[in-house]
Amino acid sequence: MLLIECPWCGPRAETEFSYGGEAGIPRPADPDALSDAEWADYLFYRSNPRGAHRELWNHAQGCRRWFVVERDTVTNRIAGSFRLDETVPVPASAAEKQPEQGD
Amino acid sequence: MAAGQANRLPRGGRIDRSRPLRFSFDGKSYAGYAGDTLASALLANGVSLLGRSFKLRRPRGIVGGGAEEPNAVMQVGEGAAARPNLLATQVELEPGLAARATRGWPSTRFDIGAALDSFGRILGAGFYYKTFKYPRAWWKLYEHFIRRAAGFGKAPDSPDPDRYEHRNAHCDVLVAGGGPAGLMAALTAARAGARVILADDDVEFGGSLLAGGDAIDGAPAMDWVAGAVAELREMPDCRLLSRGTVFGYHDHNFLTIVQRCVQEADAAAQGPARRPVAERLWRVRAKRVVLAQGAFERPLVFCNNDRPGVMLASAVSGYIHRHAVLPGRRAVVFTNNDSAYRTAIDLAGAGAEVAAIVDSRPGGAGAIGQRVKELGIPVLAGHVVSDVSGRRRVRGAGIARWTGEPWSAVEITLRIDCDLLAVSGGFSPAVHLHSQAGGKLEWDESQLCFLPGEARQPHDSAGAGNGKLSLGDCLADGLRAGKAAVEALGLNPPEIEIPATNESPAAPIKALWRVPAAKDADRCPKQFIDFQNDTTVADIRLAVREGYRNVEHVKRYTALGFGTDQGKLGNINGMAVLAETLGKPIPEVGTTTFRPAYTPVRFGAGAGESVGALYDPVRKTALHQWHEAAGAPMEVVGQWHRPRYFPRNGEDLHAAVARECLAVRNSVGIMDASTLGKIDVRGPDAVNFLERVYTHNVDRMKPGRCAYGILLGEDGMVMDDGVMARLAEDRFYLTTTTGGAAQVLDWLEKWLQTEWPELEVWLTSLTEQFSTLAVAGPNSRALLEKLGCDIPLDRESFPFMHVRTANLAGMPVSLFRVSFSGELAFEINIASGLAPDLWRKLMDVGREFELTPYGTETMHVLRAEKGFVIVGQDTDGSVTPVDLGMNWLLSKEKDFLGKRSLARPDCLRADRKQLVGLLSRAGCTVIPEGAQLIERTGQRAPVPMCGHVTSSYHSASLGHPIALALVAGGRGRRGETLFAAPPGREPIAVEIVSPAFYDPKGGRQHV
Amino acid sequence: MSERIARPHGLEAFFGAAESASRDGVEIALLKNRGFLNLRLDPRRERTVKAAEEVLGQDLPLAANSFSGGKRRVYWLGPDEWLLETGAEEAGALRGELEAALAGHHAAVNDVSGGQATLRLGGPEARTMLSKGCTLDLHPREFAPGQCARTGLARATVLLACIDEAPTFTLIVARSFADYLCRWLANAARP
Ligand SMILES: [Zn+2]
Repeated sequence: MLLIECPWCGPRAETEFSYGGEAGIPRPADPDALSDAEWADYLFYRSNPRGAHRELWNHAQGCRRWFVVERDTVTNRIAGSFRLDETVPVPASAAEKQPEQGD
Repeated sequence: MAAGQANRLPRGGRIDRSRPLRFSFDGKSYAGYAGDTLASALLANGVSLLGRSFKLRRPRGIVGGGAEEPNAVMQVGEGAAARPNLLATQVELEPGLAARATRGWPSTRFDIGAALDSFGRILGAGFYYKTFKYPRAWWKLYEHFIRRAAGFGKAPDSPDPDRYEHRNAHCDVLVAGGGPAGLMAALTAARAGARVILADDDVEFGGSLLAGGDAIDGAPAMDWVAGAVAELREMPDCRLLSRGTVFGYHDHNFLTIVQRCVQEADAAAQGPARRPVAERLWRVRAKRVVLAQGAFERPLVFCNNDRPGVMLASAVSGYIHRHAVLPGRRAVVFTNNDSAYRTAIDLAGAGAEVAAIVDSRPGGAGAIGQRVKELGIPVLAGHVVSDVSGRRRVRGAGIARWTGEPWSAVEITLRIDCDLLAVSGGFSPAVHLHSQAGGKLEWDESQLCFLPGEARQPHDSAGAGNGKLSLGDCLADGLRAGKAAVEALGLNPPEIEIPATNESPAAPIKALWRVPAAKDADRCPKQFIDFQNDTTVADIRLAVREGYRNVEHVKRYTALGFGTDQGKLGNINGMAVLAETLGKPIPEVGTTTFRPAYTPVRFGAGAGESVGALYDPVRKTALHQWHEAAGAPMEVVGQWHRPRYFPRNGEDLHAAVARECLAVRNSVGIMDASTLGKIDVRGPDAVNFLERVYTHNVDRMKPGRCAYGILLGEDGMVMDDGVMARLAEDRFYLTTTTGGAAQVLDWLEKWLQTEWPELEVWLTSLTEQFSTLAVAGPNSRALLEKLGCDIPLDRESFPFMHVRTANLAGMPVSLFRVSFSGELAFEINIASGLAPDLWRKLMDVGREFELTPYGTETMHVLRAEKGFVIVGQDTDGSVTPVDLGMNWLLSKEKDFLGKRSLARPDCLRADRKQLVGLLSRAGCTVIPEGAQLIERTGQRAPVPMCGHVTSSYHSASLGHPIALALVAGGRGRRGETLFAAPPGREPIAVEIVSPAFYDPKGGRQHV
Repeated sequence: MSERIARPHGLEAFFGAAESASRDGVEIALLKNRGFLNLRLDPRRERTVKAAEEVLGQDLPLAANSFSGGKRRVYWLGPDEWLLETGAEEAGALRGELEAALAGHHAAVNDVSGGQATLRLGGPEARTMLSKGCTLDLHPREFAPGQCARTGLARATVLLACIDEAPTFTLIVARSFADYLCRWLANAARP
């Protein structure tokens, strides 16, 4: 279970939060101007990186604020949590690669 | 000495001889003492044959002394309280304890499956995958065989009477393992002022010190342990968990510990209400972790090395010192390192004859060799035990000169009679938790083991688990790890001196992974690597011959390290034999990944208190007690319990629903709709915000106006729906579905916070604040007027789809003229605390109108008669508003969430499934919900499906069944016939009709 | 909508089980006649904060997870959200005063008295009891008097506040969860 730092409430257990997917995908200003492919890109396609990932979390059982977490998808290490009105620093480099085996 | 305990030593041990007790094993009664484990008591009684092996049904006895024990897997207790999968080495002996071996069938002495031993070649590596595969028709037979013959014990088939609980805990330093290194680390951290949790899976702290004659600071080592434990107990921020196994190391230093709390006999004496907690699951968040779980001794791999009486040397020492049990009278000790020499000394000291120490190293032992010589114990250096004789008990060891060549045959030149063979193949640090935490492992060629390498989380390893095998090194390493932990926390490490020990230097271990046999490796008697899973050297060689190279694949193919073992006993020997077979160095072959749980954990401990009434929250409306008193069966909707119907005079569901439906259609009914989600939306940008999320033109709504609104996901699919009302220029009141309340609020907040923070809007949930009483039916207006309402309710003053605040029976309410039944109806919103009063007053006044309470089932029928959908029942996340025929709700003049998706090619397909009504051609059949729809009968499988039934009821108002369905291109197919094809039933001919079955023009709700 | 006070109708029955589970070390009691207002405003707007504080006669706590005492308790729920706990009979009038004072400000006041149930938990074992279902660190140094947190307790969301060092806690939960939570507490109060 992750320990997630809410920018307001501090570190809380993952069970208090809900996940909101990849961060930094703005809604297109004029959806009608987009081709089907461009709209599909906004709607369905995500970067799904191996390493540093900016993602939205909601402190659902706490202050109900949405915020950005930078989490390494390999190690689950969290580099930082940021309010939506904060300038978010440049992403950390991808973490070391390690193959994972199933059981 | 208690009767029958032939192997019990007259003195010594940590057992309590003043508390003798009786227990049973496989139905036979035995004597033991408090302080025994089940294993030690069985050994004391000379019970050497404990069960049969998993696959080959070979006789097996106790090998180890702790979590590594592969054979003594027990079923303890009877009936509902039976616990399968317990290791006899970890079961504390209790008065009246009843244990059974879990693998022998039907008994350990006579075993039909034992015949399988001779079919060993059939049941070789990959037997799961090969033997039980073909022919397919035989599978039922195989399954029967496997279920009877395999597996460790039987799960009880009635509810577990034991009580479990969860406990969340936080600490600065969690120390896993309470041996010398763990105690030292815990002392260091605690003295520095850190909050410490020290957990050890044993009954007492001390770890390896419990099993030996070690000395610390010139006194018995257990004196030092007692002092350390006493000091830790005095510290306010230090928690000691004995009988607590750290079994899982998860992300962000979250660890799980299962703690056994009471002894079975005590629990049984208490009634169910007063029953104490049997097991406690600790969920610990630690800032730093020190892993000090020690090391497992490895067996040696030789022919018939699984015979009862072949035991790990350290376990033999443990039984002698801790339990005062001498497991054999004439012993041979077989080793490739110095540690087993101590076992020889222990055996001799306890009165056993040590026939020989067989040491594969040509040079023999270090300083300890001299002590052994003084005791007159013969040492055969440069020799190996190549085979043993005896079937149900070891009878002798066949000894050969060690050539240093693993695969060529040797000649057995000497046979020594013995009833105990104590073996040591070196030690493997218990790196399980380190590995679970994502830490790397590094091969140490000098100690011949994997050591914990780089850690991924804030943790450290110490002691034998870190490759420090001498007591002095363990204490020093514990101190180091404790200091490192507190320094990382910004605390000042205390000054602590390393206690003095008196150990002599040891000669190095020498690799001996597979002992050569008198025949070649594939024809010699079985050489076991994993006793529990019956994995042999030949199995690993076969896997390699069949093309397996990767250690993870070989593990799965041979079942090496499966079961409770999880790589504790056979893993390293297995890797090494694989490496030798492949001709590769061990680090290149690598090891498998360890995962939770470290030892078996009971399901009950995982569930904790979340059983029975506490399994899931039951949410109750303010009117719940009235519903209960009325005898209404409840339906679970989300976590809410809602009355499903209100039976009268023993009515069944069908009769009650028919009566309730007719009451609403003909007079007036009342329903508790309080579970609807309710959201207050306020601010100068409220209209602007709602324009973006709802599909209709919100800005055209005047204050006092209600509208039916739907919310779409950005993918254009219907997500939720409900009535929304404009209360003022800058204020709206939204309702959501019962199940969608929380998600819709989170989702609205997400858009507001992430995408449109510039909008000045506040969202506040009022779901719990207000109860909603839906009064529906032609007499609903008259009912409210009779009750006393301070505003006019007539059609002109208060038209359909409007909202008013009012006083009803003197109570402040909001009235919504909305209808989910198609009848004249009012939804009354009232502060929840007042709702029961109002409900009672309505019921009183309503007698005149035969006011009928109705439940969710009637509500479903009424709305289906009108063709109104329920999101989540008639939709499934792949349904657009166009599919539902709701084009009239989609504004052409603005953008809204999901709008662009409705123009995607897939959403424009003519053959999308669309909402339609269905009538059974035969007229009287209620079509099962979920039934698939097909074009024609008599087709060969696979039959193409063109839709499915989403809602289906008998309509009392119409006098026949009705159904809603999603049908490909359905709206253009009115009048056509399809067939509903419920599994196992005759197809039902149905006609596609309009979904609006009742009052299709909608006149009744406008009156 | 409703200006009148929501009495905790129907809740007493739920609390019986929890209250009777009180024993040495743990006390559980239902607090009756409580009124609650939910207040939303942007604390960066000083005039708005001031307008609210003048009506309340006390400070709005701006530090996360804290509450201010005084005439009534004001709990921080989020960076722009507070819960005001007051006497049941006072809530309606206070809401009127606040709405009047905040007219023209970007703020929202909602009476949520009918939606809450309030418990007092106390005794030396109260922390142990809570730790059975709460992942917060409840150590006296980490969760001290004056602190509050909206968090999970068992499978419900609660507002937990530490009132004094005894320790005494206030637990506020949505009314629909009250029955479940009381059953859970009655179970957790067992040693
Ligand atoms: Zn928060």
